[in-house]
Amino acid sequence: MLTAEQNDELTQVDAGTPMGEVLRRYWYPVAFTRELAEFPVKRVELLGEFFALWRSPSGRYGIVPEACPHRKASLAYGVVESNGLRCPYHGWVFDEAGACVDQPAERDDTRFGDRVSAQAGVAEEMGGLVWAYVGPAPAPRLPRFDTYVMEGFRDIGWADLPCNYVQIMENAVDPHHVEWLHGRYFQFIGRHEGFTSPASFAKKHQKVGFTPFEWGIIKRRVLEGASEENDDWKVGHPLVFPYNMRVGGGGVHQMQIRVPINRTTTRFMLYTVHRPDEGYEHVEQPVVPDYRIPVVDADGRHVVNYVEGQDIMAWVTQGAITDRTTEHLGRSDIGVAMLRKMFREQMDRVARGEDPLGTIREEHERIDLPCEKDKFHAGAQFALDFCDMGSTRFSPMLDAIKKIHVSAAERVASGSS
Amino acid sequence: MQAPPDRRFAADAEAHRRDAPRHCPACGAPPAIATEFWEGTARRFYCSCSACGWTGEITPTGDVAVGHEPEH
Repeated sequence: MLTAEQNDELTQVDAGTPMGEVLRRYWYPVAFTRELAEFPVKRVELLGEFFALWRSPSGRYGIVPEACPHRKASLAYGVVESNGLRCPYHGWVFDEAGACVDQPAERDDTRFGDRVSAQAGVAEEMGGLVWAYVGPAPAPRLPRFDTYVMEGFRDIGWADLPCNYVQIMENAVDPHHVEWLHGRYFQFIGRHEGFTSPASFAKKHQKVGFTPFEWGIIKRRVLEGASEENDDWKVGHPLVFPYNMRVGGGGVHQMQIRVPINRTTTRFMLYTVHRPDEGYEHVEQPVVPDYRIPVVDADGRHVVNYVEGQDIMAWVTQGAITDRTTEHLGRSDIGVAMLRKMFREQMDRVARGEDPLGTIREEHERIDLPCEKDKFHAGAQFALDFCDMGSTRFSPMLDAIKKIHVSAAERVASGSS
Repeated sequence: MQAPPDRRFAADAEAHRRDAPRHCPACGAPPAIATEFWEGTARRFYCSCSACGWTGEITPTGDVAVGHEPEH
């Protein structure tokens, strides 16, 4: 339970608010790489602001606020040219640094152009996504988390959800929900719809723990029949501050991404890499495929017969911004309290002029995040459950993904890996 | 924009506003955040202080000091 003021502060995303200023210190995925290959300019909403994102003919990316500094027409309808983005209205051109480099109807012997910088952000491509930083300069490095740069077979499921991102992030430090939402509730739905839900998701929790670390919070659990020697406790998996969670197991590696589009809309993305530890033979992908995951059915009811659909139901039905003034947390929600503290600490750090948790300024090749390999001590079965019972079953790549896991297992069994 | 207040628990919200700690036990500054949770019948506040970095739980006890008797 929080006061209304604390809840308000925690859930804000707009510029000038304490939390909005924290969020502007991070990079966000704002487009699929293939989108700008298909058409080189896109309107993007991020943190409650609109931007024009473009890819130059030479492959460089730029991002500027959508409104042209001249007469405020949308640069998202701009003309992509070799030296920048040309406003469709009067032809002013802005380069990737935001500088106005052409004002066709103005005299070129004045310094008028210097007055109208578009105040650009920075954009880069990584792992089939275009990433943007729209905070104060100098931008930190784009963190090269393992999932985005590792070898493997990729796909990206996504949906835009009508709720604030914080209630989604609180789910990432709530281990107990798994045995109920993805266990008991899944069994209930399965009985009515005629399928068998995955047994490993219903295992009872005996102990949960949370460890702050340099990228966020590591979540740990001991499930019935396991011990602190099992991966679920010994390794755990992290909430990656402030808007991600790294999960996986059984040769599946996933970053769950929750981009605050605005205060009450979150883009939920499941960036998944299939890469069995043994027996994997790499399959080239010229384009990383993306697909929408279902949120509601034709009657407006949540689709709850797959794991992430259940999560979405729990997040969205709390309301656009959950009312934390009348919630009733228990001891089992202590991870939620820890996360709120972490958010609050970063507001203070940014107010002091410091970088918040999880920003990096050093050049680096890859950031490996801790993540259990033997998830729910279910072994390779986890990968198959993941394909059949999670969002992957909606992927256009489902057959290829299953083949990757089955072929790898067969190679291991035959000793040919 | 926020979900409408749940009238069933208006009294709890008021009690939270009344009882949430106003001072850090280490330095006396206002806590940066105090998240209230329940453990059985005990109300606890998970607090952190921006001024001195203190983090801990504060539990209002009322007038009665309650002991416990482990099995013996």
